[in-house]
Amino acid sequence: MMDVGRHPNIKLLTYSTVEKITGYVGNFQVQVKKKAKYVNETECTACGDCTEVCPVFVPDEFQQGLSSRRAIYIPFPQAVPSSFLIDMENCLGTNPIACGKCADKCDKKCIDYDARDEILEFKVGTVIVATGMDVFDPTVLDEYGYTKYENVITSMEYERLLSAGGPSDGHFIRPTDRKRPKTVGFIQCVGSRCEKLGKPYCSNICCMNTIKDTLLLKDHYPDIEAKVFYIDIRAFGKGFEDLYKRSKEAGVQYIRGIPGEIIEDPSTHNLKVMVEDTTANKMEEYEFDMMVLSVGVTPRFDMPEVQQLLTLSKTPDGFFMEAHPKLKPVDAPTTGVYFAGCAEAPKDVKDSVTQASAAAARAETLLSAGKVKLEAITSSVNTDLCRFCGMCSKVCPYNAFTVDPKKKTIRYVEALCKGCGTCGAECRFGAITMNHFTDEQIITQIDTHLAEKAQEKVIVFACNWCSYAGADTCGGARLQYPPNQRLIRTMCSGRVHEKFVLHAFKKGAPMVVVSGCHYVDCHYIDANRWTQKRVEKLWDKLEKWDIRPERLLLEWISAAEGKRFAKTMQDIEELRKKVTKEEIEHTVKVLTEEEEKEKAKKEKQKKK
Amino acid sequence: MEEKDFKCLRCGAVNKFPYEKGVMMERQCPKCGSNSIRLVKEKQEEKK
Repeated sequence: MMDVGRHPNIKLLTYSTVEKITGYVGNFQVQVKKKAKYVNETECTACGDCTEVCPVFVPDEFQQGLSSRRAIYIPFPQAVPSSFLIDMENCLGTNPIACGKCADKCDKKCIDYDARDEILEFKVGTVIVATGMDVFDPTVLDEYGYTKYENVITSMEYERLLSAGGPSDGHFIRPTDRKRPKTVGFIQCVGSRCEKLGKPYCSNICCMNTIKDTLLLKDHYPDIEAKVFYIDIRAFGKGFEDLYKRSKEAGVQYIRGIPGEIIEDPSTHNLKVMVEDTTANKMEEYEFDMMVLSVGVTPRFDMPEVQQLLTLSKTPDGFFMEAHPKLKPVDAPTTGVYFAGCAEAPKDVKDSVTQASAAAARAETLLSAGKVKLEAITSSVNTDLCRFCGMCSKVCPYNAFTVDPKKKTIRYVEALCKGCGTCGAECRFGAITMNHFTDEQIITQIDTHLAEKAQEKVIVFACNWCSYAGADTCGGARLQYPPNQRLIRTMCSGRVHEKFVLHAFKKGAPMVVVSGCHYVDCHYIDANRWTQKRVEKLWDKLEKWDIRPERLLLEWISAAEGKRFAKTMQDIEELRKKVTKEEIEHTVKVLTEEEEKEKAKKEKQKKK
Repeated sequence: MEEKDFKCLRCGAVNKFPYEKGVMMERQCPKCGSNSIRLVKEKQEEKK
């Protein structure tokens, strides 16, 4: 951090928040609010005279509230720049000055009560999101009595208690009697791998953190008895298994089972737990002086704001989603944005450093090239046809369109377009063309597939990344699916225009399937939500025209789900067989009439 | 979140799923695994 602070090409903005990001790859405009510290950070020598005279005491966040700090303070000992700041929420007041002791005491006159927040603006080419994570708050778990029993602490609090710079100067004491505990229990997976709490994922770091904690404990106090309750120990990674073995050799006992409850003995403040040891297959009771809850990792509280700033998408566990889990693990779906650390998923220091190096290299590659190559499959806008309704800007996951209906202007940034084609599918005026996946190209494919024996065919619109790849997986695995199903590839299911589906029915298709990625896999952030909306509307329309909505199906199939693809297609073939000739004839008749009505309506409008 | 009846268009099974107006969510039929899950509206029921 010191190196970063000193680097001539790095501008470090601490105590600041990003307010706004506009633009696109190579041309981001970033607005940052640099909060007032009320201390001149270049002049402050961090002598600490000011903090000694400050009369305000508040819980110290860095020490997990186990000790206090003053209203003028350094957030943590290794902070860069090493200068004090005033916490104005807790300061006795500066307007008028209620105390002013810090200013009186500071010989270098660094205190400036009139300092104000600054808004800074930068132009940057790329953005790396390294916003970190929060830890799980165990107050919601009544069974572990974290809010009731002082001797139940979290792994973060334990870390501070054992630290030489901690609230007890590195002396490991239990909170109720300030005495060194003789027995310590650790409970793993608190707020991880729990469906009930909405945290089904593994937090990745807790097992190794506990192993390290037990080794530290045994190193400092070999006589303390330590037991770890776990579901399973995940000690993968270089040297990790060795650490686990060393912990066991040091005398730490690992018990496979998670206690259901912690009960305190009010007279001794000792903690009792009942646990089913699943390796011994018996119920056991233990008593500890202290219990440590190994809390999991959760997405940061301000993730929605960051998500909105950069139009990012999230995985169901709440962390940011990468552009591709294997091929682009540090890239965000938005070009020019990269991830590092726990913003993307829970990871340890080593993995975070690896990802940060990769992100820096990816950003540098882009910046040094000075140019960005775009895919040819972007959209193009015909402004003569555009009615400035703003639908394209509403549906575009990348904010490539800016429409002002009052001024009748449309601004389209092609560099932002990723080619999902949702805009083209939603534009009612035909003003948007999706290059290489034009309406004409898709309609021609439908016509060709249904040119002969249409009643025996099923038209399947498959998205490039998932469903089409799922069909490939199905074929690669030699799984059988009916040969009368005709796949039409689009980049995203969002490209499937209502008119493609209706055209297929009009041409005599008994069944039409729209398939795409599962919600969490959508390669275009949330474009497939628009697919679902459109299909739901189509079901209503078909029903209105007395066409069975069951003939239009929506299926989410991922690239790995070859078996699901085969099963879906086999089921659909069974449904196809049930579609009668009369039904198809009725559909063709109704849709032809509807098309004629639509044409007549347009003609009338033209004449007007 | 409120739960409403949804019909699977592939197998015809009717199941309850969470529903909130304007909120899109992925639904899967527990019987056949299809995502063609359609909200059963009052009008549709009356029609039957």
